[in-house]
Amino acid sequence: MKVLWVRAGSPRAARWLVIAAASGGAVAAASVAIAIVGLFGATHAAPVYLLAVVAVGMRWGTVPAVGTSVAAFLAYDFFFVQPLYTFTINNPDEWLNLLLLLAVALVIGRLVASQAMHAAQVAERAREAQALYGISRALAETHTVEEAAPIVLHRLAADTAMDRIWFAVGPAPIDEQTIADTNPGVPLPVPAWQVVLQRPPGEAEVRWIRSHVATTAVRRRTDRAVVYRVRVEASGEALGSVWALRSRDERQPDRAETRILSAAADQLGQAVVRDRVEFEKTNAEIARRSDAVKTSLLDSASHDLRTPLATIRAAAGSMLDDSIAWTDADRREAFEAIDSEAERMGRLVRNLLDLSRIEGGALKPELEPCDLDDIVGPVVKRARGTTAKHIDMDLPDTLPPVLADQVFLGQVAANLLENAIRHGGEDIRVRAVPLQDWVELTVEDNGRGVPDAALPRLFDKYFQAGPPSEKRRGMGIGMTVVGGLTRAMGGEVQASRSSIGGLRVTVRLRPAPMPDPTDGDAALSENAADAQPGTTVRSR
Amino acid sequence: MSGPSLLIVEDEDTARRSLADYLQRQGYGVDQASSAADAMRLWDAHRADLVLLDLGLPDRDGIEVIHRIRREATTPIIILSARGDERDKIDGLEAGADDYLTKPYATDELNARIRAVLRRVGGPDSDSPGCLRLGPIELDIVRREVRVAGESVHLTPREYELLKVMLSHRGRVLTKARLLRAVWGVAYADESAYIHVYVNRLRRKLTAAAAAGGATLDGLIETEPGIGYRIADA
Repeated sequence: MKVLWVRAGSPRAARWLVIAAASGGAVAAASVAIAIVGLFGATHAAPVYLLAVVAVGMRWGTVPAVGTSVAAFLAYDFFFVQPLYTFTINNPDEWLNLLLLLAVALVIGRLVASQAMHAAQVAERAREAQALYGISRALAETHTVEEAAPIVLHRLAADTAMDRIWFAVGPAPIDEQTIADTNPGVPLPVPAWQVVLQRPPGEAEVRWIRSHVATTAVRRRTDRAVVYRVRVEASGEALGSVWALRSRDERQPDRAETRILSAAADQLGQAVVRDRVEFEKTNAEIARRSDAVKTSLLDSASHDLRTPLATIRAAAGSMLDDSIAWTDADRREAFEAIDSEAERMGRLVRNLLDLSRIEGGALKPELEPCDLDDIVGPVVKRARGTTAKHIDMDLPDTLPPVLADQVFLGQVAANLLENAIRHGGEDIRVRAVPLQDWVELTVEDNGRGVPDAALPRLFDKYFQAGPPSEKRRGMGIGMTVVGGLTRAMGGEVQASRSSIGGLRVTVRLRPAPMPDPTDGDAALSENAADAQPGTTVRSR
Repeated sequence: MSGPSLLIVEDEDTARRSLADYLQRQGYGVDQASSAADAMRLWDAHRADLVLLDLGLPDRDGIEVIHRIRREATTPIIILSARGDERDKIDGLEAGADDYLTKPYATDELNARIRAVLRRVGGPDSDSPGCLRLGPIELDIVRREVRVAGESVHLTPREYELLKVMLSHRGRVLTKARLLRAVWGVAYADESAYIHVYVNRLRRKLTAAAAAGGATLDGLIETEPGIGYRIADA
């Protein structure tokens, strides 16, 4: 028996089912009964008919069972009641027998059928419950629909015996974006029609309805496959569809499969809504935090800019005052103050600029192999010129080059040194050591350091070092820039307590892959013309 | 006019005036232009010995001014540019500028740069024919020999070419692309990632030799982060 796929539960299909089952059952029973009577000379073949009714009832349900009962009644009359091979009955006893047979057949058929149906329903419900449990778990164990969908779809394909299932989100099929597919990479079918699950609100029965697809896309043959679609909706809003593919030779999804598909679509819909709420919540949080950062930055930046500005104005203003006779030494001191404060402002502006680029994501490092002493060395040299503090530098020749942006690295080193000079003790150490996967640059001092609790947050955007009254005092911005630039170069940064007493900042960068030593250049040659154009340079 | 003449191209009036004032007091003759058009006009009227050029001009790109001057003369050009405009600086140097200064700069630094490029152009060439020098480094073009403080240094062909290009550009900033073009060829100008490995290898060999001969190479070949290398004019 095959259900015509056009419409499930159509009256035509049911009628055929009844007729086929009933006549089949009756004919089978008659054949068996004739055989029994012929072979064994048995006089009562009626129980054989009852057996047929039971079999049909168990397999196909009440209506075919009743049909079989009637057919059996007629067949028994025809084959076994005198006069044989007619539907006439002479003996009133036979009438009674026949009617009893019919009554018993009807009752047994109905009982058996309802029993079988009940058992099937229980199994079906268990299967559904199992499937839905799996889907719920997949959704609960993942964070986003993108993560959950592939797991859900694979379960769904197994539980509903579909050849392929995919899940797409979008307000209409034309705008949908596939976010998971059990056969990724295989082109999606472009059918002329599809079978859509109609899910009226309330208790009304769901139905599969065939509908035509209006599309301008070039249609591919769907290889005798039927495309099923279950709309994914939440609160009346179309969110997407669960699509499924099944061979046209297979039956249509049965009730259990339909319910599983339908429930899965609902669950996925809820997950889409959940993701959306989560996304909006995160955005709101980001906006809130970035407001807090901006305020904190503005506070500290305006403080840090105002301090040198005040010095500059005071120094310049007093030089402009004609009523005071300044000595040359006074004048020099004033101008030196202006010069150094202007330089300080310049550093702050540079850091603010970097910070805004980090924040705006406009920071694109140009990573290339750099020798630390090449970049950090000059920075240390410059820093020594600005302070009386002792800066000890140890950048061994044996260090491998690091993968870094020269400008970023210079800025990182300058900020670390400036911080150590301004907030640290009298001794500052700059060291670099090669590790397994990193090259580690440390800058440490013997000052009062940073409280342990604050160490992990030193590079945070919202971190304010010291008590609120002290605010960031420029340190926060410089350190935030160190963190941002280092991470932009693919490195790591960490603050800890130094063994010499103060703060130790560790910047880890990746060692650069070295050029191939088999380069023609490595071989010493007497003749410069032997030098082939940079095979090494290209071979990375 | 006593000293060499400078053309200052800068659209910011206060900055230009105070710069001109300072340089005049240093003994230079100074022309001032506040736009590219002004700059061209003044350049045509009176060839300056050196051009100080701010790349951000109101009427035209400063790079065009460089191209225009380079078509006619090898007059040294120093770019004045804000930090973060690394691309501008590289473009300017590629277009033929000799050096750059990042604003805000200290006046003594400006002075040193001006003197360095002017010395390169005007000063008598101390090199004997066929020989290039930079501090204690001597490169004999004819014999293909390199000595540092009298110590012979063994260089690979590429290191030799690299050093030759550097020594031919004393008092200038060489971009990485320019070095690559000169040593490896035009096709390699974008492969700047490894130039630095070669430069450092070269620097190490030279430094070791200098140390053996009791000399120092400090500050002779300096890395300009993000740009290239500055060759001193010692």
